[in-house]
Amino acid sequence: MASALEQFVNTVRTSSSHGNFRELCEFISKSSEVLIKQSQHLDNVLETLDIQHHSLGILAVLCAKFNVQVASNATDNRFTQAQDFILNCNGEQIRFAPDTFAELCHSLTNYLVEQKQPLKGIVLLQKAISKLRLFDSQLTSIHADLCQLCLLAKCFKPAIELLNIDITGICQELAQNPNGPQFDSKYFLLYYYYGGMIYLAVRNLDRALYFFEVAITTPSLAVSHIMLEAFKKYILVSLLLHGKIRPIPKYASQVVTRFIKPLSQPYHDLAVAFNSNSTSLLNAVVNKHSEAYTRDHNMGLVKQVSSVLYKKNIQRLTKTFLTLSLSDVASRVGLSSPAEAESHILQMIEKQQIFATINQKDGMVVFRDEPEKYSGPEVLKGLEEQLALCMELDRQILAMDEEIQVNPQYVKKATGLQDEEQPKSTYAM
Amino acid sequence: MVVNITDKLMEDLERQELEAPNGNAPAYVYQQLLAIYLYQNDLCNAKYLWKRIPPTIKASTPELANIWAVGQSMWTRDFPAIYKALNSVTWSETVSEIMRQVQEVVRSRAVDLISQAYSSISLDTVSAMTGLPPEVCVPSCLEKGWKFDADTKMVHPVRQVVQHLGQTSSEDQLSKLTDFVSFLEN
Amino acid sequence: MAQVRQQNAVEPMQVDAPPEDNDNNEEDNYIVENPTLDLEVYANSYVGLAKLYRLIYIIDHCPSLKLEALKMAISYAMTTFNVNLYQVLHQKLAEITTAVNVPDVAASTCQDIPTIDNSWMESKSKRAALKLEKLDNDLKNYKSNSIKESIRRGHDDLGDHYLDCGDLSNALKCYSRARDYCTSGKHVVNMCLNVIKVSVYLQNWSHVLSYVSKAESTPDFSETQSKDSNQVILTKLKCAAGLAELATKKYKSAAKHFLQANLDHCDFPELLSPNNVAMYGGLCALATFDRHDLQKNVIFSSSFKLFLELEPQLRDIIFKFYESKYASCLKLLDEIKDNLLLDMYIAPHVNTLYTQIRNRALIQYFSPYLSADMHKMALAFNRTVPALEDELMQLILDGQIQARIDSHNKILFAKDVDQRSTTFEKSLLMGKEYQRRTRMLILRAAVLKNKIHVKSPQRDSSQTGEITVVPF
Repeated sequence: MASALEQFVNTVRTSSSHGNFRELCEFISKSSEVLIKQSQHLDNVLETLDIQHHSLGILAVLCAKFNVQVASNATDNRFTQAQDFILNCNGEQIRFAPDTFAELCHSLTNYLVEQKQPLKGIVLLQKAISKLRLFDSQLTSIHADLCQLCLLAKCFKPAIELLNIDITGICQELAQNPNGPQFDSKYFLLYYYYGGMIYLAVRNLDRALYFFEVAITTPSLAVSHIMLEAFKKYILVSLLLHGKIRPIPKYASQVVTRFIKPLSQPYHDLAVAFNSNSTSLLNAVVNKHSEAYTRDHNMGLVKQVSSVLYKKNIQRLTKTFLTLSLSDVASRVGLSSPAEAESHILQMIEKQQIFATINQKDGMVVFRDEPEKYSGPEVLKGLEEQLALCMELDRQILAMDEEIQVNPQYVKKATGLQDEEQPKSTYAM
Repeated sequence: MVVNITDKLMEDLERQELEAPNGNAPAYVYQQLLAIYLYQNDLCNAKYLWKRIPPTIKASTPELANIWAVGQSMWTRDFPAIYKALNSVTWSETVSEIMRQVQEVVRSRAVDLISQAYSSISLDTVSAMTGLPPEVCVPSCLEKGWKFDADTKMVHPVRQVVQHLGQTSSEDQLSKLTDFVSFLEN
Repeated sequence: MAQVRQQNAVEPMQVDAPPEDNDNNEEDNYIVENPTLDLEVYANSYVGLAKLYRLIYIIDHCPSLKLEALKMAISYAMTTFNVNLYQVLHQKLAEITTAVNVPDVAASTCQDIPTIDNSWMESKSKRAALKLEKLDNDLKNYKSNSIKESIRRGHDDLGDHYLDCGDLSNALKCYSRARDYCTSGKHVVNMCLNVIKVSVYLQNWSHVLSYVSKAESTPDFSETQSKDSNQVILTKLKCAAGLAELATKKYKSAAKHFLQANLDHCDFPELLSPNNVAMYGGLCALATFDRHDLQKNVIFSSSFKLFLELEPQLRDIIFKFYESKYASCLKLLDEIKDNLLLDMYIAPHVNTLYTQIRNRALIQYFSPYLSADMHKMALAFNRTVPALEDELMQLILDGQIQARIDSHNKILFAKDVDQRSTTFEKSLLMGKEYQRRTRMLILRAAVLKNKIHVKSPQRDSSQTGEITVVPF
């Protein structure tokens, strides 16, 4: 066995036992080449290391293993090894090398995607995330992996659990970065893009829109394809939810308005047609751009948009009419028959989107005002909940403000400015 | 409490699915989980579960397809088709209880919807939406206090007032109010 | 013609291009069939470029008056130095005389169709050049003697001459240069009026408005407003401001400006006639004033009453509107529509103003009622019930009428807005929005803290492959 590997094992053992994890990390980051070269012996190395005590060493070995092609005749034990490691490794140790740990998870994800077994990794990545993050609302780059696996497996509940937690902090994974610790923007964008798609899949449009909005407002100096796709979906979801394009926040980067908008012309056309409230105009646009929508895998959403237009138009009717015959509803909204109008109205009543009563005897609909007159204990309860949420957020903001107030750098800068100005004023006195 | 049992059951089943070696859980896991999603009217998750069930299991357990047939009809809101799909097969032990409850909730949702959405509705439509033959419908409608006009065959439902439940104590409310005020003042 | 000229001439002083240009072009393509306009009287109300531009507008939009208008314009152009315009007019004339070979038209009017007079053009151009040279020399002399008043006049004379030649941009330059040599408030006002006039021709409305306010704030002028000559100037300024507001679609303030004009002192043939003031002001007021304002500022206004006497049809329209006789009011409006469409300043706004007047009438009609029979309402507005239903629907959606339609019984019901529940709705919505924004804010703080941003384009290309996962 090569001496390089022996040296690796020895260093891992001594550093681990002395608790010199920071130095060990540095050593490990330099030894990946050695490990990759000696790939055939890596399993032996693993046997000499203890999963709890030498987590960092094992992490490095596993990463190396994922970087090497497996010979076709050899058995591939990488998944079980990685599984064992993620479930049993020492969390404190791996947090010294968050980038390597995340890299292992990315490799594992790619492996499962290639094997077409995404479902197998979901529990594992959940565990990995909980080991890496310092608090529940901290984002790691593994979040994006989990979302990807959930999307591929069509199994969304585990991802939703994660997505429902609003992120307040970000794991600084790229510790070795010359410009200070960083987080790869690619994984950030992927997390919010995948997250938006997952919320779309389970019909949580409000959250989906929020996620896409985060994606498109990410600071950016170049056109990212993820942002472009997120922008297209942002338009569609915005139409589904609000009936118009929600204005893009001012703090969005210039690339959004300058490059991404022009690249999404078919979607703007759709929004304009939607705004005209005319189904025929909308259908014309859909036909005209159907190729683009299909290419972007957005045809399903586009079809939803065109069916929502019926609902929007029915809602407009409820604002203007007290009574209307079903056949009038059908003709005003552009539906083919009164029966179709009835089924649309029935659906909307069930979802409480409108308040109406159908009279089958006369074929009439009576539109009513919202019966909920904001009275009763449940309204109070709802209000209390909302207020509590607002208060909690306000507290968070205040805490952040305090943190900044006592931040040495901030204090230095704030007082530094005064230093320059103050002498003059004192002399003047 | 039936609902609680299914909630816990659902979480168990979901975990079993995820932790299954090789990604293939026993067939009953999928059957029950699918049925439970239907019971909860969670059609999105039902649809995706159906899509991710391994093909081999689908082939060996034809009942899965029968369960999903119910889900498909629910997706399209085709009430007659739902009842037809529910009653045209004999459900196995594994899901029979859940499927019975599925039928119950579908019917009670239909009744609620009728009372919310119609001031007059033909007996045929009522029958189609509840899956009950007209001669059963009439007495149960009358029992709910709805009127039935035998000449026109029209049912006149009465809108239900949704019951408010739960009243928080005034002390509790007072303390919350104090919280709000102190929040606003600061 | 005016458009082309305008683009060439605009540059020197214009900051922002007139925004209504595009709309004008869109609405330009219509034809008026049956005007009841007395062209002779109409043309005689204006002088200078105002007369020519207005005639050209008619030439472009009314085939039946085209020939007559052309003849008038040509003969008038011959009294000026505007050789270019003369040529353009002849081109237009040539288009109809050659293209339309209608014998009877040609035969009956053949002898009095003017032919293009090249020698006139030549001599006119020469004389214009000579005059220009002379005025230029004069100005140079004045400058070398540095007599302020003479320099100012020199500039003005030169501006007048450029205007006479149709060179708007140079006219504007000369008039503006006079500014530095003004020695009294009166001179400043005079300079402003000159600039305003040219700016109107150039359709540079923001320029018009700024010079109007400049003139109005000139000390001498604002102090001695009572004098008669000042009344004339004041009316001119009000008319110019009204015109500018009208052109920029600010109909309400246009109305307010026109309403301050004084008929006895309304003498501004370079821009508009008293009839124009009546029509522009009356229609804008009708479209934008509420009942009370209409009564106080239009119907009972002693000064504007005199203007209305000039346009009896308009007077009837306003009174019918005020008396709630909407059917006849709207009918009369339709009758004068053709003539309005031949007026270059109000034509682009006729449809908008008419719709607003109609809507105002509908709103006013319904305002005292809790419920209204739509059959009766349709009768009062000369509409079928379904058409009325559509119109009302739009007004309700726009929030202009608080009502709902009972389509079954064709009754319009007033709807009282439940303040309490809308307040609840609004505040809940506001709370949700606050939460959303704050969450985004906290996240964004974390993003910025971690310096997350998309950098190199190279990375983008590698990202392309990763977006292929789509669940639909």
